[in-house]
Amino acid sequence: MRGLSSTLRMIDWTGWLGAGIVLVMVCAAIFAPLIAPYDPVALSIEDRLLAPDMAHWLGTDQAGRDVLSRVIFGARASLAVGIGAVVIGALIGVSAGLFAAYKGGLGDQIVMRIVDGVASIPLLVWAIAIVGILGVGPVRVGPLLLPNEIKIVLLVGVLFSPVFARVTYAVASRVVGADYVRARWLQGATHWDIVSGDILPNCLSPIIVQGTLLVAIGIVVEASVSFVGLGVQPPQASWGSMLSDARSAIYSGEWWLPVFPGLAISITVIGFNLLGDAVRELFDPRSEARTLVA
Amino acid sequence: MSGTGRMEGSGTGGPLLRIEGLRVGFRSADGGVVEAVRGVDFSVAAGEAVGVVGESGSGKSLSMLAVMRLLGSPARTTGGRVMFDGQDLLALDEARMRAIRGRDIAMVFQDPQSSLNPALTIGRQITDVVRAHRQVSGAEARRIAAESLERVGIRDAGKRLDAYPHEFSGGMRQRALIAMAIACRPRLLIADEPTTALDVTVQAQIVDLIAELRRDLGIAVIFISHNLQLVAEIVDRVVVMYGGKVVEDGPVEAIELRPRHPYTGLLQACVPNLTGPVGPLVAIEGAPPRLGRMPQGCPFSPRCPHVVEACIEEMPPLEREAELRFACWRPQ
Amino acid sequence: MLRLVAGRIVSSIGTLLFVGFALFAMTRAGPGSPARIVLGADATAAQLAQFEQANGLDRPFLAQYGAWLSDILRGDFGRSFVTGRDVGTEIVNALPVTLSIVLFAFAIAVVFGVGIGIAAALRPGGVFDRVSRLLSVVGLSVPAFWLGIVLIRFVAVDLRWLPPGGYAPLSAGLGAHLQTILMPAVSLAVYYIAVLARMTQASLQDTLRGDYVRTARAMGLSSPRVVVYALINALPPVINLAALSFGYMFGWALIIEQVFNVPGLSRALLNAISQRDFLLLQGIVFLFTIIFVLANLTADLVNRVLDPRQRVAA
Repeated sequence: MRGLSSTLRMIDWTGWLGAGIVLVMVCAAIFAPLIAPYDPVALSIEDRLLAPDMAHWLGTDQAGRDVLSRVIFGARASLAVGIGAVVIGALIGVSAGLFAAYKGGLGDQIVMRIVDGVASIPLLVWAIAIVGILGVGPVRVGPLLLPNEIKIVLLVGVLFSPVFARVTYAVASRVVGADYVRARWLQGATHWDIVSGDILPNCLSPIIVQGTLLVAIGIVVEASVSFVGLGVQPPQASWGSMLSDARSAIYSGEWWLPVFPGLAISITVIGFNLLGDAVRELFDPRSEARTLVA
Repeated sequence: MSGTGRMEGSGTGGPLLRIEGLRVGFRSADGGVVEAVRGVDFSVAAGEAVGVVGESGSGKSLSMLAVMRLLGSPARTTGGRVMFDGQDLLALDEARMRAIRGRDIAMVFQDPQSSLNPALTIGRQITDVVRAHRQVSGAEARRIAAESLERVGIRDAGKRLDAYPHEFSGGMRQRALIAMAIACRPRLLIADEPTTALDVTVQAQIVDLIAELRRDLGIAVIFISHNLQLVAEIVDRVVVMYGGKVVEDGPVEAIELRPRHPYTGLLQACVPNLTGPVGPLVAIEGAPPRLGRMPQGCPFSPRCPHVVEACIEEMPPLEREAELRFACWRPQ
Repeated sequence: MLRLVAGRIVSSIGTLLFVGFALFAMTRAGPGSPARIVLGADATAAQLAQFEQANGLDRPFLAQYGAWLSDILRGDFGRSFVTGRDVGTEIVNALPVTLSIVLFAFAIAVVFGVGIGIAAALRPGGVFDRVSRLLSVVGLSVPAFWLGIVLIRFVAVDLRWLPPGGYAPLSAGLGAHLQTILMPAVSLAVYYIAVLARMTQASLQDTLRGDYVRTARAMGLSSPRVVVYALINALPPVINLAALSFGYMFGWALIIEQVFNVPGLSRALLNAISQRDFLLLQGIVFLFTIIFVLANLTADLVNRVLDPRQRVAA
């Protein structure tokens, strides 16, 4: 095992840039109410469509809302969906992969065929269609009232899960069949010992790498769904819906309306991609060719 | 001049290939150059078979890659001359060098598993070589390819042309590579550890094949190996390399009878003789010097059982004594 | 080989049945039954029951799914309860628009992605290597729909080179057609140029280091021929990725079509959503899913067919 300091030294500047961007965006999302100079939803007719100046660094929109404040609050929706979906996907996927590899036989077959099925679902089309069907309002599932963001997180999370299931399954089925694991069982190790001591540590690095890259994809998915009006609902701020609102400004020339939310998405996505690549370089430098596509 | 533009001997009766003061270096991380081949001289006469023997890291393969001008970054030739037919190969432009590779000098490598293109048929790969050097029709190239395959002992050659490398066994793949190498009837074949990756029984067949091709076609052979015994069976002369230098060079009988350099003696002892009586298996203690950590004197001095002070201080010159050349302060 | 292909096809069909079922169930899980949506809040229970019986909605759920599937197999996507129009016809009207944009984008992505990737692999540290590295940071991160908005501003509004949106079918002339689909296709393609360039470069760099490339050089093959030797071994993962990309492109095309106001499947899908037109929505989503599954299947088969070891083993 390498020491922590020498490990950190292996990360080049792009990796640190990525980590820095991610950190800034996460902080912006968490501390949005403290950082944002204005109320992101407060309307102000006299302040409509102000160009960036000292009072409104990124200008104001058609309803006189401060663009900077809306971009900062928009980070909440983006990161919540991106990170939330990856967490859900990892939970479902890792459990499914572990179960299939552990159970073997018919259970293995059924679970992994379901995983194949879920992997055959085109993410964006289904996200749009299902939110469209269920409506953008809160949905009651038993005793729970699920707001639209949670619906999207769950949906995207389920559709992300095959990535994690396959990684876990590959590692776990190798470990479960290994001689040294049989030996450990004979020595009285419990299932949990095997899972936590032998399986999970071995799939942790691909899970972290894929997870980081999937957050980036989740952010673009959230922006896209909000862009067509099926994501975060007005007046709440989301980068996707801000871009949608900014479409009329393409012609009238308020350049700050489309530019800043777009930059926010791009920079955040760059951050997660750079971080993911750096982590991959660290853990598994040979896997350069395997690209996650969406 | 023949129509194919093949270079003819300069008529002086000199050696086919003469390597003079060849040096190969690696660019190191700190910007300096670390030499791995440090002034190698030897020559090969037309039709002669020469074994180049040494442990891994001795510089034997790098020297031959340098002769072929196939060194990949970060290795590069830093000095010397490679005279072939009166021409310095190191001074040729790439197009003329390319015309010599495969036509006048061909090289086969250690691992037949990975040395053939897995996506193309054997026949396609041989005909590509033929057509790179000769203006012939596709049918004619195929005929030459089949003939080559037959020549290296692959039965049913015409049909086997359409096979993919993975359909061949390891030994057959090495035969196919040799077929590629001799398809244009080169005058020199360089075989870099051609049997190392093969089973022992197959090894002997490949060695026999190379000996036979040399005899029948008159091709000069440089056979690179770490196994002195194996090489001795088919070569006329042995060149022993250590630490990027030639340490001994001479006719195989003379060297087998009485190696003068202690390293050659140990090489001879450390390979079990399969046909002779079973003696104690000797391994040379220690490891070859690492790149950039070359001793000031004789590179073998740290491991040599006969080391004296002079060995540590100064590299002995390669001196001739009767048929042998050797570089040692205390020859055996 | 044939058995393998057949096996993959059968399993893809199984996947489609399973995923189609999930889709069918989802559309029924939304608020309001089709009868209620069509007849309105004032409809009586008797009217609702009559509507359901007339349209087969009172049958068991699985039977309805089976009927829907078998109709689709015969090319019949059903008739919308809401608009009364034939779903198949609506899809056929909108599909060429989407298909045209995606195919054009795919062609751009393959030509530029593979081209840049090869050039970058052949000259490490050269111009294309730098282009490829820049692309793999920027191209992977700029969302296609934002790129579309930026393009509209610069190319259409400021420079007035191309129309800012709308669609001219091929029947209006190739020039007019290309003018309307160029910007949507480029917006859609940039991400995939980056993805394919990165994969091509990595894969080719890897095969160029192969022993067989050294052998080819040792036998005096010309440089272009040596590159071809490396390339045929580098391409299978690239082709595999290209096939996957083709499947994914349709999803992002939905958003791009909104940006450029193009009357493709995106508009049809959003109309279906706003009118709660279940049959149309099911039809469109199922079509996308079929395309996606086919793209995956192609990617999978291409890898096996291109690899002679697999060809024989199978």
